[in-house]
Amino acid sequence: MLLELTSVSKRFGGLTALRDVDLQVDENELVGIIGPNGAGKTTLFNVISGFYRPDGGAIRFDGQDISGHPAHAIARLGLCRTFQLVKPFGNLSVLQNVTIGALNRERRVERARTVAEEIIERCRLGPFRDVPGKSLPIGLRKRLEVARALATQPRLLLLDEVMSGLNPTELHEMLDLIRELHAGGLALLVIEHIMAVIMPLSQRVVVLHHGEKLAEGPPAAVAADRRVIDAYLGEEFAVAEA
Amino acid sequence: MATISQLLVASVLLGGVYALVSIGLTLIFGVMRVVNFAHGEFLMLGMYLAFWGFTLWGVDPYLAVVVALPGFFLLGGITYLVVMRGIISSSHSVQIFTTVGLSIALQSVALLAWTSDFRFVRPPLAEVTVRVAGASVNLAALIAFGVAMACTLALFAFLRWTHVGMVMRATAQDREAATLMGINTDLVHGLTFALGIACVGVAGVLLAPRYPVYPTAGLQFILIAFVVVILGGLGDMVGALIGSLIVAAVEVFGSYLIGTAWREVLYFLILLAVLMFRPAGLFGQRGAENLGT
Amino acid sequence: MNRLLQLSTQHSALSTRLRRHWPAIVLFGIAALAPTFVRDAYLLDTLVLILLWGALAGAWNVAGGYAGQVSLGHAAFFGLGAYAAAVTAIHWELSAWLAMPLGAALATLVGLLIGYLSNRLRGPYFALATIGLSQVLLIVASRWRELTRGGEGIPIPFRPGFENLAFATKQPWVYLAVLFAVLVYAVAVYLESSRFGYQLAGVREDENAAEALGIDSRRLKVIAIAVSAFLTSILGTVWAQYVGFVDPNYVFSFDLSIKFALMTIIGGIATGIGPFLGALLITLLEAYLRASFSGGPAGQSGIYLVIYGVALMLVVRFLPRGLVLELADRFRWRRRARRAEAQEGEQVAAGTH
Repeated sequence: MLLELTSVSKRFGGLTALRDVDLQVDENELVGIIGPNGAGKTTLFNVISGFYRPDGGAIRFDGQDISGHPAHAIARLGLCRTFQLVKPFGNLSVLQNVTIGALNRERRVERARTVAEEIIERCRLGPFRDVPGKSLPIGLRKRLEVARALATQPRLLLLDEVMSGLNPTELHEMLDLIRELHAGGLALLVIEHIMAVIMPLSQRVVVLHHGEKLAEGPPAAVAADRRVIDAYLGEEFAVAEA
Repeated sequence: MATISQLLVASVLLGGVYALVSIGLTLIFGVMRVVNFAHGEFLMLGMYLAFWGFTLWGVDPYLAVVVALPGFFLLGGITYLVVMRGIISSSHSVQIFTTVGLSIALQSVALLAWTSDFRFVRPPLAEVTVRVAGASVNLAALIAFGVAMACTLALFAFLRWTHVGMVMRATAQDREAATLMGINTDLVHGLTFALGIACVGVAGVLLAPRYPVYPTAGLQFILIAFVVVILGGLGDMVGALIGSLIVAAVEVFGSYLIGTAWREVLYFLILLAVLMFRPAGLFGQRGAENLGT
Repeated sequence: MNRLLQLSTQHSALSTRLRRHWPAIVLFGIAALAPTFVRDAYLLDTLVLILLWGALAGAWNVAGGYAGQVSLGHAAFFGLGAYAAAVTAIHWELSAWLAMPLGAALATLVGLLIGYLSNRLRGPYFALATIGLSQVLLIVASRWRELTRGGEGIPIPFRPGFENLAFATKQPWVYLAVLFAVLVYAVAVYLESSRFGYQLAGVREDENAAEALGIDSRRLKVIAIAVSAFLTSILGTVWAQYVGFVDPNYVFSFDLSIKFALMTIIGGIATGIGPFLGALLITLLEAYLRASFSGGPAGQSGIYLVIYGVALMLVVRFLPRGLVLELADRFRWRRRARRAEAQEGEQVAAGTH
């Protein structure tokens, strides 16, 4: 079991953002996380990746306890996340951005740059190699965010709504990329809002609602789950799927 | 021989004026999220206004306040349009260096125009002493306190009970939401800045009879203002008021007990201590110093 | 044949790398050659000052530019280095070369404190803390009479000789200044090409994003600030020996801290040559103004301070990458645009457009 969350909780003052969440992601699994706004999805990512300390429960990555460890240490272990509001290194070029990602594993800059070039090609960012991050439109920024995370050579990649804000073409390209990564052996935990995208993509779906895990299982089962429909999906989606 | 009541009264009176100096600074930060490093220079200009008003036309500083208030409001508005407006959304570095640059420019303009000589304003009222609460008090200090408190309370009332004041408080809480509500944040920022400068300009006029006037006079007061504002929590108006009282008390009692030589060290150590252990201040929101906007 | 190709590619790679640094090579080269051709003490003095200020600005740049931690209190480190030389000279007759590591050690400790603060405070809060620290040191230095002779300052006894870091003529000072300038420049080059430097760039761009990529941002910031403090202090010691007098109200002053930042910003923040170009500009400007406004002491300092203040405001807002880089860029862009136009014109004429 690559990632294992046991009874993880997170409170902000009087507000409980996460309550007793259990979650597992195994090697090469593609797990989707859905839920209405405010359900705690990004908070979950923040807790897993070390940006927030959990108030309860435990998180194990590759057998190691990582609860409360600092974010950079967790990234060095091979768990990398992207941000919902993308954070490109604006004044640095695409190549420099990805190179910095590659320096997670590579000790030498030339080697890191080579790795970065490969990943840039793979993510089809080649033509924008020398463009500064801040000059990229949102679709390319999202791709850069993924490329940079990929360069860290992770074992588990956490993608936070990488598909929102993309036009249909960009969406397709991103989907293809994610499928390629999965096919290549990477484990992925994907937060997504667009049902039509996440359902066909995921092997397994976890539904969060008010900070709790509401349901879990294969996409079809989750889509048919009464509680999920009531809380989140709405009748139309269930009917459409049926 | 000073008594406790003497020292206490002095603290309160001084605190009132420090409040006026600081309130503008904390208001500007609260609404605009900009630390105005040039705040002290406007105070210095207020002091010079009092000096020249008195020296050239024999105008008593306390009357000069009437001119200072609208005058500095206007100056604040102009400064906003020319300097501040362009950097509202800029990075911290840009904001810091812009206001620092403004500070340097204003100091040097004063230096060029009026030389580095210390000037003194000695209106007749400044020599009179009265008895208040069993302590003998300088009339000038009393009047300064009165005017300062009047202005401060007027500002509080404005923020609390007028529509515009509410709009300012809304912008302070969430600029983006305010824009979405149709609030002209540019206007709000300009108004805020102008008000902040008006306050500190008037404070300068009030302080002139009691302190020497020279181009870098702003520095010692701005240090105090920063200590007050950080102690009370950046953006917190009530905090600034209480902070002013505390700092004034430290100054008055400190001067009496250990002399003025180490007073400044005391201020800086308080500043450093607060920044290290409770950067949000006594009343500010914890973590505020980590959130940029 | 292959071996020749290999050698030639290696050679061109190296020469490309060196070619990047041509402004520095030219500047330091001219400076190093100057004493051979120039005898005028005033000119050599100006050169030494440009190099020292450039190096000081470059030292600030490590923390303020490359690490993105804007400090307005670097005079604290400078003053510690200066006082290390002065205090050890008058109390224990120590050589400045020995005083240098003492001052540097103290400054680095203070730098570690500042580094700690940089992890707890952001932007203006951090700047305020650095100002506060430098001011505390100023006041302590000007009151602690037994150690520092208080406000009257310390004239450093002149004992010429390399072992004391004191020279009777200007020439050795020029060589020494070039050496330190090259040292600081080398640090900048390291920051632009090493793993540490790349990661630091990530930290200054977006700390959270950097953390998510495995970068220990806190540690990196502390190291950068400590290095910056170390370099600034060493240069403070050199400066004190050169000028021969340490005045607390100058060496710990806020104006001085601003100067380090100003030169870097004007020349080009987070670049190797920027601080030196800024120092060149500012020092020449000061020399010019001093000469033109030689009447009236108040007028003098007033005039160039106004210019600094306005320059700071304008550069930071409109030419954020520094005067020199922005102008160079515009020039290059215009040349490229002209070339593109010319190409288009050719194509039209040839009927291939």
